[in-house]
Amino acid sequence: MSGNGAVWGRVRGRLRAFPGRLAACGAEAAAYGRCVQASTAPGGRLAKDLCAPEFEALRRCFAAAAKKTLRGGL
Amino acid sequence: MQRLGGLWLLWRRPPAAGVAAKGLGLREVASGVSPPGSTSPRALNIFDRDLKRKQKNWAARQPEPMRFDYLKEEVGSQIADRVYDITRNFSLALDVGCGRGYIAQHLNKETVGKFFQVDIAENALKNTLEMEIPTVSVLADEEFLPFKENTFDLVVSSLSLHWVNDLPRALEQIHYVLKPDGVFIGAMFGGDTLYELRCSLQLAETEREGGFSPHVSPFTAVNDLGHLLGRAGFNTLTVDTDEIQVNYPGMFELMEDLQGMGESNCAWNRKALLHRDTMLAAAAVYREMYRNEDGSVPATYQIYYMIGWKYHDSQARPAERGSATVSFGELGKINNLMSQGKKSQ
Repeated sequence: MSGNGAVWGRVRGRLRAFPGRLAACGAEAAAYGRCVQASTAPGGRLAKDLCAPEFEALRRCFAAAAKKTLRGGL
Repeated sequence: MQRLGGLWLLWRRPPAAGVAAKGLGLREVASGVSPPGSTSPRALNIFDRDLKRKQKNWAARQPEPMRFDYLKEEVGSQIADRVYDITRNFSLALDVGCGRGYIAQHLNKETVGKFFQVDIAENALKNTLEMEIPTVSVLADEEFLPFKENTFDLVVSSLSLHWVNDLPRALEQIHYVLKPDGVFIGAMFGGDTLYELRCSLQLAETEREGGFSPHVSPFTAVNDLGHLLGRAGFNTLTVDTDEIQVNYPGMFELMEDLQGMGESNCAWNRKALLHRDTMLAAAAVYREMYRNEDGSVPATYQIYYMIGWKYHDSQARPAERGSATVSFGELGKINNLMSQGKKSQ
């Protein structure tokens, strides 16, 4: 780790903002979670990008929440 | 806390685990002796112990270590309860993987005369909690205990054996340093620990990246624990399980707490990078699959408590086959039999 932990502190600060932004996107997160959970039912098969549309919606909402709380750059 | 002046022992890992300590000019200690029946392969290396030492040192150096101590405090007090349940006083005790001394703070001077605290991270030994028993802090690895045979009346270990590479060998060493009629009381994480986190990461990684790699370390199953203790030579085993469920606001807070406890992953096969997309997806899956009514998410910690004794002639042994004097068929008449027995005495 670097001497004063500047980079680590910056990255960790960004990560600490995640829960707040996720809370702002409750509906999209629930939709994505339901899609993934449905694939775990008997007969379902989880493959890559099975829930890509839902995840795209979640990511867009997340980025929008980030822009709202943006204070001088990520 | 008293420290006998200057008794800080730094014990580096010996070059080859199988080399007899006698050849190095040292007294015969637990780490150098390999029991004759031992079949554990020397190549068993799952965890990066150096990294674990760095992680524990970092965790112990946090500005507010008590923020993350809740789990270890709880399990430490449970182990202290079990020590009190044994109606004996122990003059010399050892705590393997003690952290900041979560067990010793609950015990009193009458029950335990002197406590040896062994841990792999020196920052944890430097920041110990308040305790009234005189202690000696030793910096040593749990798999290479620098003590002679038949030294301790009591050995305790709380939530640190799940990071040792060679668990059979570690248990054999604990058995080695115990005196006859000594007892080992330990607590380890069990198979169901953090299953919610494991499943969420697995599902999210499969959906986002097409495959998954292990992020939660493998835990011992309860049957294996009994076998391991028996193989190490312990008698009269007792294993019981306890589940602690802690509610967190979300997956990110859980992961931050795990890191603050010093329980980050240090397996050699860990993936170095966890993508932000995957983390976001996993947090969404975790919340959807496992959340409570009030919106928090639970994390399960399954703890196995084990008690094992070192053999001594005074301990009760199973009776010889064929030495029964009454049969199970007469169980209905047990009151008559007992009063008959009392009359004839």
